[in-house]
Amino acid sequence: MKESFFRSMTWMHTWVGLLVCWLLYLVFFAGTISFFRDEVTLWNQPALHSLQAPQERIALQREQIIAGVDYLKATAPESGRWGIYLPTEREPQLNYAFEKPRPEGRRFGGWQDYYINPKTGESLQQPRETKGGNFFYRLHFDLHYIDVRTARWIVCFASLFMLVALISGVVIHKRIFKDMFSFRKNKGSRSWLDGHNVSSVLALPFHIMITYTGLITLIFMLFPYPAMTAYDDGIRGFFNDVTPTNVRTKSSDVPAPLTAIDNVLDQIYTNWPNADLTRFSIKDPNKASATITVRASTGTLVRDQTPTMLFNGVDGSLIAKSVDEYSSTEVFYDSLTALHTGRLANPLLRWLYFLCGVAGCIMIATGCIMWAKRIRERMKKDQKASFGLKLVEGLNLATLMGLPLATCAFFIANRLLPVGITQRADKEILAFFITWLAVALFSLFKRAKMQWYLLAWVNAVACVSVPLINALTTKGSIVSYLLNSQWALFSFDLVCLVCALLFVLQAKKLRTQLNSPAANTRSNRVNKNSLVEQKG
Amino acid sequence: MIELLQFSLCLLAFNCFALAKFNHYRDVFKTRPSQQQSQWFLISAWISILLSLLLCIVEHQGYGGLLFCGYMALSVLLLMIFYSFKAAWVKYMSAVNVILLVISGSYIAIY
Repeated sequence: MKESFFRSMTWMHTWVGLLVCWLLYLVFFAGTISFFRDEVTLWNQPALHSLQAPQERIALQREQIIAGVDYLKATAPESGRWGIYLPTEREPQLNYAFEKPRPEGRRFGGWQDYYINPKTGESLQQPRETKGGNFFYRLHFDLHYIDVRTARWIVCFASLFMLVALISGVVIHKRIFKDMFSFRKNKGSRSWLDGHNVSSVLALPFHIMITYTGLITLIFMLFPYPAMTAYDDGIRGFFNDVTPTNVRTKSSDVPAPLTAIDNVLDQIYTNWPNADLTRFSIKDPNKASATITVRASTGTLVRDQTPTMLFNGVDGSLIAKSVDEYSSTEVFYDSLTALHTGRLANPLLRWLYFLCGVAGCIMIATGCIMWAKRIRERMKKDQKASFGLKLVEGLNLATLMGLPLATCAFFIANRLLPVGITQRADKEILAFFITWLAVALFSLFKRAKMQWYLLAWVNAVACVSVPLINALTTKGSIVSYLLNSQWALFSFDLVCLVCALLFVLQAKKLRTQLNSPAANTRSNRVNKNSLVEQKG
Repeated sequence: MIELLQFSLCLLAFNCFALAKFNHYRDVFKTRPSQQQSQWFLISAWISILLSLLLCIVEHQGYGGLLFCGYMALSVLLLMIFYSFKAAWVKYMSAVNVILLVISGSYIAIY
């Protein structure tokens, strides 16, 4: 009974993991990068590199809002929306934005941004068009080129599989504490298993938390039925009920003067004396239906819903305010969402999240490599690889080596594409997918050690190219970032160089294996088999 | 400085957990640990890890729980690297760990 239980759990762990491992790798990879979403976006916009948030950032917010409203009144009085995005520690620029005229048949015309140096108040050069870190953020749960809702369902199913794989993995790992610090190098499959175990165990609380909370963030899409039953207007009614500031007003064409902003600001600072405001937006300015929405930062509170106030834009009265005291259910849902997004994290915790994310990527990568390696080892001398094995090996190579290369291509395209080119942001994304497709096609034909070796070198060169091309095409470089204490930019370049070093080590290791004399060992026989197959 | 203390305690705890095991102790000290030594390592490990968790929670509440999970991951990673690739360096690493613990603890006690 006991043996059959462990066998069935092992079987489940293997297949549940293998079926979705490539998608999970993409989700983890993009999710890990998006912990530094704002920093990646900053790197992608060299025009903003020299900016630093002022020391007295919060004290300046009142003046910045008043100046912003004055600017928007003068620049875009006819616009349907105004937004004032205040500088934060991670996004140092001050941004006054307004909605451009809506094209025929569209609900939104897109934003026109006007960036300002928060220290000097001078206007900045318009940064290049890029999605930056937002691309990876969206990619990790919306995927790309497919319907958002379908993508989220697919990602949720993969997450559910991951949760099952994690729990069954804990059950089948009999020596979970004994082998906690063990990594036996140069032992073939044993080393891969150790790598899989160590990367799983060292961040196990994170892996379980991030997978479970990932499902929770989309729980109302997965399971909307209680809200649909309780509310006449379904899930929208539910959200309006729990978020009082979600009030939607019907737009009016009747002109009406905007309320005095000082009056609104007085109310904000009376309610929240030490507020760190992040956004001040006005819908339908200079119209009878005008509303003002103000959002504040949650700081390091384990809370995802930002404190929000909604004002009438004509008389300045407070229409709605986010609740200060949540019910226990709301606290549970909101804190789980906060844990997943990691928006609360200061730099130390953000790096720890990143480390755990990398551990997750290694766990998935070692898992899928190990499956193919074990099948190869079990094969008889003259046996040909099955279609399934070839498929898994191809997908392994395409995903594990293709994604880092595609990411480098995205950043290189950011620096090399002409700044004024139309739909520039989409072209960066296209560079990402074309590179990935090229690696996938390459893997379709050959997927032996030699191809891993070649791609390791290509990846190493690509990783070095990112900071190098940055230094050649912008005023900054890794050295200047270090000297000027621009830690976000310095860390970005440093991570690229560390990745390059790791790919060089991987290539050297593979070179040693390719050059080793073909002794009659089991693992060498496997290598020979794969070579024979290729030649065939 | 409090973050350094929290992390040093966490690292010390996992180091003690590792040294309580026969194979890791032998890799570092080239001898077998006695039953009593193993027990002392385990007791020290539990005290140290609970202190680290306590400091995280007292200082940062819920946020501290997240930090603690991160510290655990980083500690296990560092120890795995040392025990698997440079077991001889564990003694020096332990000494640095204890020095950091004393410095950060003293700094917090004084200021």
